[in-house]
Amino acid sequence: MSILLETQDLELAYGAFHAVNGVNLKVEAGTIHTIIGPNGAGKTSLFHCLTGERQATAGAIHFDGKNLMRKPAHGRVGLGMARSFQLTSLFQNLSVRENLRLAAQGRDGARALNFWRRVDSQREHLEMADQVLERLQLTARADTLAGELSHGQQRVLEVGMSICSKPKLLMLDEPTSGMGIDDIPIMTQLISDLGRDHTVLLIEHNMSIVMSISQRITVMSHGQILVEGTPEFVRADERVRTAYLGEAA
Amino acid sequence: MLNLYLFQILNGLGLGMIYFLIAVGLTIIFGLLNFVNFAHGAFFLLGAYICYTAVSLTGNFWLALLIAPLVVAALAWVIERLLIQRIYHLPHMFQILVTLGIALIIQEASVMIWGPVGKSVAVPELLRGVLVVGDFVYPYYRLFLIVFSGLVGLGLWLLLERTRFGALVRAGSESTETVSLLGTNIFRLFSMTFALGVALAGVAGVLFAPLRGAQPFVGPEILGVAFVVVVIGGMGSFSGALVGGLLVGVVQSLMTTLWPQGASLMIYGAMAVVILIRPYGLFGRA
Amino acid sequence: MSEKNPLPFAKTQSRAMLLWVLAVLIGLPLILPSATLATEILIFAMAALACNLLLGYTGLLSFGQGIFFGAGAYCAALLMIHLQLGLFTALLGAAIAGGFLALLVGALAIRRTGIYFVMLTLAFSQMAYFVAYTLSDWTGGDNGLLSVPRPEIRLGDTVLLSLADARAFYGFVAVLFLLIFIGARRVIASPFGSTLMAIRENETRASAIGYDTRHFKILVFVLSGAVTGIAGALYAMLLHFVPLSNIDLAMSENILIMTIVGGTGSLFGSLLGAGSIVLLGDFLSDLWPRWLMLLGVILILVVIFMRGGLWGGLASLFEKVRGSRKNVVIAKEEGL
Repeated sequence: MSILLETQDLELAYGAFHAVNGVNLKVEAGTIHTIIGPNGAGKTSLFHCLTGERQATAGAIHFDGKNLMRKPAHGRVGLGMARSFQLTSLFQNLSVRENLRLAAQGRDGARALNFWRRVDSQREHLEMADQVLERLQLTARADTLAGELSHGQQRVLEVGMSICSKPKLLMLDEPTSGMGIDDIPIMTQLISDLGRDHTVLLIEHNMSIVMSISQRITVMSHGQILVEGTPEFVRADERVRTAYLGEAA
Repeated sequence: MLNLYLFQILNGLGLGMIYFLIAVGLTIIFGLLNFVNFAHGAFFLLGAYICYTAVSLTGNFWLALLIAPLVVAALAWVIERLLIQRIYHLPHMFQILVTLGIALIIQEASVMIWGPVGKSVAVPELLRGVLVVGDFVYPYYRLFLIVFSGLVGLGLWLLLERTRFGALVRAGSESTETVSLLGTNIFRLFSMTFALGVALAGVAGVLFAPLRGAQPFVGPEILGVAFVVVVIGGMGSFSGALVGGLLVGVVQSLMTTLWPQGASLMIYGAMAVVILIRPYGLFGRA
Repeated sequence: MSEKNPLPFAKTQSRAMLLWVLAVLIGLPLILPSATLATEILIFAMAALACNLLLGYTGLLSFGQGIFFGAGAYCAALLMIHLQLGLFTALLGAAIAGGFLALLVGALAIRRTGIYFVMLTLAFSQMAYFVAYTLSDWTGGDNGLLSVPRPEIRLGDTVLLSLADARAFYGFVAVLFLLIFIGARRVIASPFGSTLMAIRENETRASAIGYDTRHFKILVFVLSGAVTGIAGALYAMLLHFVPLSNIDLAMSENILIMTIVGGTGSLFGSLLGAGSIVLLGDFLSDLWPRWLMLLGVILILVVIFMRGGLWGGLASLFEKVRGSRKNVVIAKEEGL
């Protein structure tokens, strides 16, 4: 299988503190790959380096054969990466459809600077938005303001926005964060479904989801990769069990 | 020649201390209340005018020095209760617009009450005259200005560092939630802090009055300089307000003899440069 | 695709809005005592519209609009006085001057956000004022530029229309305003415009979905600056005079106040805001020299109680009327 995303000795240092301390991550194309670990393990910091929110202080990131180190966050979308946020970050006062349409338009890059053409002349973005609405089962709420959705629906929209740019890699930061017990299966189903035509890299805390949908799990601790492998492999590993999984295994 | 520079530097220190008082008031309000007060300059000019009235009524500058800041503080307290409390939660943009409105109201009200032309305030008798050292001559009042402002600054520092109120203000600047959990009436703390910050501007106005009188339209200019000082010194920083104020005061004084417009250009240019390069200024926290 | 337009500002509303604008443009000189006053309203409506592109649509509070207004006025005046250039060249020059300064100011100011961004625009505004004051050989300093001409509309050497008459000039300005209004609506309805609103709503998210927000912010600054420059040039031609006050902070504040009081939610709001403030000033300033106090009160009331401004107030009134009619229909359908 081909490696879509790869880091080499990646480091993110805040002064003397290394949030990410030499990480060699390999994400295979077409897999659902989850990163887990206790709080402070460096998952979020690693994510920030991958999405471009933070500039890594050492090491390399390669995506689809391209070096990502100097690319700003907005530039990574054009390469085929997309992300969702742990703390819901939507366009609250715009409709659900508009949220998605903007996400689809985002891949246009400099062409979006066109201030003379009419927005709805770009049918492809509207069609993408409608397609994604279908996939998210939110078609009925297309014209609702994003801020008026329930929390669970907002989390789903969060993930939905990341697929609008037709990315190769979806990076989802705790997609089920704050979701109620009834809504979680919807998200799980969505992510599994997305895994069929995207590569998905996610951070998750909910162990049952992690175990059920991941094809590969990376366990982090103290800014480094502790263990990596299939769910069964990780579940069986002593170090992970004692340090982290406890009774949930 | 040396005397001229010494003269200007001392002027600059005096001006700088006045700027310090205004700026420290602004920075306290921003530090604790996270509130941008565009009416700060208006309270400065109000302080000068109330001083004028107090002196006209009582003939006593020292009484005015005591009364005027208290009156300004009282007015600020009322405004805080009625208006400012409603807008703490709003983004800075709206705070700016509302306080801009307040500043306009105060400015126009001042003209209504005291007329469009400035009023002059006499230097108190005790401080008339000049200090003579060799062939260097310097007005007593301006020396008093530096010393008195320093004392006010010291008093303020003691208030912030050594009293319970000050501890609450400093703690509140870090986290208002924690402070309110400690049982403090957070709204009263806010009102008192706002009144204190504004009163400092009022004191500055009083001290400034014998120099250039009470003027109705200086609000924007003073506000501008106050923000320059706060930005250069660092938002929320006491020492920043002091160092920034003195820097700006001295530079402005020295430049005024050479090129008055250049002084303003340099000052606002410095503010822009600081914001672009090091937004938290000399002493501010990131 | 459903009938309803996905953009926040419905299309059907816009078509009617254009008619309203036409109605106002035609009606203003008929209702008001002087065509000069009506022209002044349109000039500031242009400036407020440009300010609203930044404030209402992109979420940028700029205290620097006076820079572009004053620069446009000075540029046009100087081009006409010293180079004897004609009407359209002067306006073009003003647009370029405004746009170019906006490029400089914007590129620097957007390096910071929030209060620091505001402070930067404020600092630049003050700097521009003092530069204009100092370059008194060009700007006339405190006295301003006098005897600014108002050129005719000409094609080559033939004079098509003289604008000396106040009503003729009003007509010219009205046409310009209409063109700018239509252009602005176009900009808002474009991919660029939709992205501006995304940036206003959530800049981090906008960045994360692929937009280089700096480019968008700079471009909207340039557009805003160009339009404001044109407004400044027209003001110079209206007064035959360019005062220093065109470029001072108070001018930036006035433009902001008009934008906010009118309502940042729509372009029509800028027309409402400029109209009401200019008329208020004109009406009151003779009666009560301290009328600015009322302005302060209005500003406070609008921000606290009616954040949508005059436009917001009108819009919610329409909603209430339409809503109550809709409720009657629904009630009938449900057999109540």
